[in-house]
Amino acid sequence: MHNFDHWLRIPALVLPAVISAPAFATQYLNVEQAQKILFPNAEQFLAAPLTLSAEQIRAIETRSGVRVRNSTVNAWRAQQAGKPAGWFLLDEVYGKHELITYAVALTPDGTVHGIEILDYRETHGNAIRNPKWRAQFVGKKTGAPLQLDDDIKNISGATLSCKHVTEGVRRLLASYAVALK
Amino acid sequence: MNAMTDAPPMRLPGTVTQVRARPLLGTLVEITATGATSNQVQSAIDHAFSAVADVHALMSYHDAASEISRINRLGFAQTVPVHEHTWRVLSAAREIAETSGGLFDISVAPTLTRLGFLPRHRDFPRISGQGDWRHVTLLSGRRVQLTRRIRIDVSGIAKGYAVDIAIHALQACGMVAGCVNAGGDLRLFGDAAQTLHVRAPHAPTRILPLMALSEGAAATSAAYFSQRRHAGQMIAPLIHPHTRTPCTTQRSITVLAQTCMHADALTKVVHADAAQAAKILARYNARALMVEHDPVTNGCRVFDSGTAAPIKWRAHWGVETRHA
Repeated sequence: MHNFDHWLRIPALVLPAVISAPAFATQYLNVEQAQKILFPNAEQFLAAPLTLSAEQIRAIETRSGVRVRNSTVNAWRAQQAGKPAGWFLLDEVYGKHELITYAVALTPDGTVHGIEILDYRETHGNAIRNPKWRAQFVGKKTGAPLQLDDDIKNISGATLSCKHVTEGVRRLLASYAVALK
Repeated sequence: MNAMTDAPPMRLPGTVTQVRARPLLGTLVEITATGATSNQVQSAIDHAFSAVADVHALMSYHDAASEISRINRLGFAQTVPVHEHTWRVLSAAREIAETSGGLFDISVAPTLTRLGFLPRHRDFPRISGQGDWRHVTLLSGRRVQLTRRIRIDVSGIAKGYAVDIAIHALQACGMVAGCVNAGGDLRLFGDAAQTLHVRAPHAPTRILPLMALSEGAAATSAAYFSQRRHAGQMIAPLIHPHTRTPCTTQRSITVLAQTCMHADALTKVVHADAAQAAKILARYNARALMVEHDPVTNGCRVFDSGTAAPIKWRAHWGVETRHA
C-alpha cells in the first residue's frame, strides 16, 4: 500500500529563478502563405489599402463596440478567374502581454470564411504599447521570420485568451460594412 | 493554459513540417504536423482544425446554438439527443466524476456565471441550486436528460477532447509526427521528445523547462491569466465542486495522461484536492506535476505525484523531470 499523500511533502526538484526565457514569438505564416491558405484557388491579390475618415472610425466603433486604433485597413481583393473571390484583411491586435497579427478572409458578400494567425509575440507588461518596441516588427510582413528567442519557438499561444482577436474580427466586419462594401 | 514545447525537433529526412494557429475554443489553437509533402501537411492541418471547430460548435457554453446550450435550455423538460462527440465527452465527464468522488464536476457552471467567468443566457431556465454531476443522466440512443434544474459546462474537458480528435485527424492523414496545443492542453506523437515548458506561477512571463515528453498528452492549468478580481480578491475559474468556491492559490498543475481529455479533466481534480488526487491519477495511469513559487530561492518548487507511485508505474511514462 503506497501512501499517495507523500508527494506533497517534499519537492521533487527546485528550479532556480535563473532558468527562464524572457519572451517568445512565433511566426506561423507570412502574408503570401496566409493568402494561399485562405484563398487556395485565387490567382491574384490586389492590394487595396484604405484610410478611414474620422466619421468612418466613429461609425465602426459604434457598430462593433471596439476601439479603432489604426485608421488604415490593410485589405486585398482576391481575384479568381478574373472575378472577385473575396477580401483578405490583415490586422493586428495587442493586449497586455501579447501582440497578434492575423488575417481574416471574407467572402464577396462579407461573411467570414477563415481566420489564420500570422504571428504571435509575447512580452513583458507594457512594452507592447511602446511604439519603439513595436517598431521592431515593422518589415516582418515581407516574410523575414522574427527571432526573439532561439530556445522556445513553439508557443502555447494559448496562455492568453483569444478575446482580442475576436474583438478584432468584429471591428473588421464593421469596417467592411462601413467602408468596403 | 500555459504549457508549451520548444521548437519541434521532428526534422526527418524527406519530410516537411508546418505549424499554424487559429483562434478556437476561446484560445489560440496551434497545430504542427510533419508529412511527406507540403500539400499533404496543409491538408492534414486543415482537417485537424476542422475537427477542433466541430467540438467548439457542439460544446461551447458561450454559443447559444451549441448542444451544451440546448441541454441547458431544454434538458430538464425533455431528453436531448446529442452528437457522438458530445456523448463521449459527457460519458468521460461522468466517469471521472464518479472515480474522483465529484472532485471533477461539470455542473459548476452557475458558479462560474455568478463569478463572471461564463456569460448569462437569458433563455436558460432558472436553476434550483441543488444537484450535481449525478443529475446528468445519459440515456440509451445518445440522449441526455437533466434530473435536477442544473446547468452544465464541459469546457474543463472538451478542450482536451478536441486536441485528441485533432491528433487522430493528423494521424488519419498520414502524418509521421504532430503536435496540437490548445492553450496548454497538448498532445503529440512522432519519434522525437520535446521539452515541455510551463510558466512560473508567480511570474507568468518566465518560462521553465519542466521535462521531456515524446508521446502522449499533457494539460496545464493555472490561474495567472484567467483570474479576475471578485469581491476584493483574485479568483480563478477553478471551482471546488464540493464547496462551490473558486481557487485562490497560485500554483500551476500539469497532468500527463494517455489522452488529453483525461489530462485536462484531471488538472481540475488536482486543483480541488491535491492529496486525494494521487490515488485518482494512478487509476488513469496519469501523473501530476505541481509548480509553486519557492520564496526561499525565488525559483519554483516542483512536486511530482510520480514519486508517490510504484516504480513500475513511474517507468510507464518514460519521462524524467529535468534538472537545470
